[in-house]
Amino acid sequence: MNRAAESAQSIQRRLLWFLLPPLAALMLAGVYANYRAATAFVESAYDQRLGDAAVSLAGSIIRDGPRLRVDTSTVPATARRADHLVALRYGITGADGELLAGSREVPVAAASISANLTFADVSAGGEHLRVASYRVSIGSQQAVISVAEAAAQRAVPGRFILASTWLLDFIQLDVTLLIVWLGVYFGLKPLVSLRRQIEAGSPRELKHLDATAIPAEVKPLVEALNQLFDVLAEAARSQRRFVADTAHQLRTPITGLLGNLELLMKEPAAAALQPRLQALHTGMENLAHSANQLLALARADPSTGFTEAFESVELKALAGRIVEMNLDRALGAGLDLGVEAETVAVRGNARLLEDLLGNLVDNAIHYTPRGGHVTVRVGRREGRPNLEVEDDGPGIAEDQRGRVRERFYRIPGTAGHGCGLGLAIVSEIAEAHGAQFLLESGFQGTGTRARVLFRSAVV
Amino acid sequence: MRILVVEDNDLVADAITMGLGAAGYAVDRSASAEAAENALATEHFDLLVVDVGLPGADGLSLVRRLRGRGSTQPVLILTARDTLAIKVEALNLGADDFLLKPFEQDELIARCRALIRRANVYAGEQVNLGRLRLDVAGKILRVDEAAVELTGREWLVLECLAMNSGRVVSKERLQQAIAGFNEALTPNAVEVYVSRVRAKLGDAAVIRTVRGLGYRLDEPRG
Repeated sequence: MNRAAESAQSIQRRLLWFLLPPLAALMLAGVYANYRAATAFVESAYDQRLGDAAVSLAGSIIRDGPRLRVDTSTVPATARRADHLVALRYGITGADGELLAGSREVPVAAASISANLTFADVSAGGEHLRVASYRVSIGSQQAVISVAEAAAQRAVPGRFILASTWLLDFIQLDVTLLIVWLGVYFGLKPLVSLRRQIEAGSPRELKHLDATAIPAEVKPLVEALNQLFDVLAEAARSQRRFVADTAHQLRTPITGLLGNLELLMKEPAAAALQPRLQALHTGMENLAHSANQLLALARADPSTGFTEAFESVELKALAGRIVEMNLDRALGAGLDLGVEAETVAVRGNARLLEDLLGNLVDNAIHYTPRGGHVTVRVGRREGRPNLEVEDDGPGIAEDQRGRVRERFYRIPGTAGHGCGLGLAIVSEIAEAHGAQFLLESGFQGTGTRARVLFRSAVV
Repeated sequence: MRILVVEDNDLVADAITMGLGAAGYAVDRSASAEAAENALATEHFDLLVVDVGLPGADGLSLVRRLRGRGSTQPVLILTARDTLAIKVEALNLGADDFLLKPFEQDELIARCRALIRRANVYAGEQVNLGRLRLDVAGKILRVDEAAVELTGREWLVLECLAMNSGRVVSKERLQQAIAGFNEALTPNAVEVYVSRVRAKLGDAAVIRTVRGLGYRLDEPRG
């Protein structure tokens, strides 16, 4: 499985993807709401102060005959000190709009002002102001009092509130995310250990998974898997039984037929029939060979579960056995068959590796002309165990090297007893052992070198 | 020389019986392990040829009982099932050789001959090998009835090869066979002795050099 597909199907990632974005959005909404609530509170506190200042200014307006006058000496300190950090500016106008006291630059909050305090945000002289205005009646006279404050001054505590709520909520968000992540991690831990359990075993081993520490949600799955393993193991057993029974049912009659035919060929009375009998004998041998090859192929089928029983196999001794078994055929074909081996062991199935090497040697003997050499080599290449059979025969054309591994494929125009299974068997057995099967040109570019490069040696 | 063939399949048993008969052996046949036990109780056989797949008790259990009684009777196992387990079990039980079906008559006869010869070498009896005749007890070699002079080590080389005729004998094994006490021998020494024996045998027998493995004494066939 590639990395992208793995991440798409990881439950841990899916859970985090489902949980984290909504949580983060919720947190951001919380920050905004907190900020709004805090600033509204601060705004009303500031307005309160502005209103108080406006109301207190009313006490400084006195009646001066038919007119009104402001006694500036009684204007509250907060309104007077223009340089103060939280300075307020004021303006008091008469009924006709004439300035009685304060600054003319202080605008009025609204076009018509009632006896109640009116608040407004007003722009004047390129400045944003918050203004509180109200109308006072002294006798028959009326005046409008306006107190203004620069909006910029209010932004200072607003920013402070924003920063502090943001900081607090951000910490809270981080802690929440961490808790979610930890929760998901520990919640899924049994699944991770199940995965390790599966990965640790060979896929062909069909070993039961330990279902004791498995969460209830996954338990049925694990139990189903274990049942499947049982079914597969049973199938492997019956496949092995089938191979063994077939071997017996095929080979015993062939043995009887071949033996009787050979006896018949030695009868003096059969002398005239020799060419026919010889053809029959060759056919019988081909049949025996095909039966052996089909059985070898069935034996190499991974569904027989043979990889369960891998053991240490010493290749030098194996090479000796196979060469000895094929010596007579090689001598009969006028070939020099030999071994160049050092001691190397690999993990594998000895019977199948015999099939593998037997087929390579058989091929080499078959296709190498009289007077040629066939050498079985066991050693190390690139630090890995290497088993090879080299001959100085005609070789395999480069464009045929892939196809000859296919079942029942035979190079057009070749003669002989082959059923086209030899290299397919070699390929399957090599693959089952995690080894590479390579076909190359032999020494000095002539002949064939069939190499099986194993993954690692057994020490 | 008498051989008992234990094989339940008639077609196979007939071919083996007649083939071995034609090769000059007296052959009896049993179709089951039980029948074979009866025959062995009353008669002497030089060799047992036993099929593994028999009805009732199988061929391997026959060998197990035989070896359990301390019998050193040479046994050749025949089987159609070429699993390594059967081969290993057969040889562990004390079977002397193992032949996979289907086989050619010549192969069977050669194996039988080699097994009987090996038993004779062990028993110190006379061994015939084509034109060679080895008097094991007297350490005398005759080629076509004419005595051939061999040194002690040359005799040991020939005896080791003859005991395993038709099989490859490794250089190391020959080295062990000819090494005396407190004497170190180089692999080259083995080559020297083998070539001397080869020269003395002339064309009466062939000692083949199998590249990288060792030597094999071949009985002239046919």
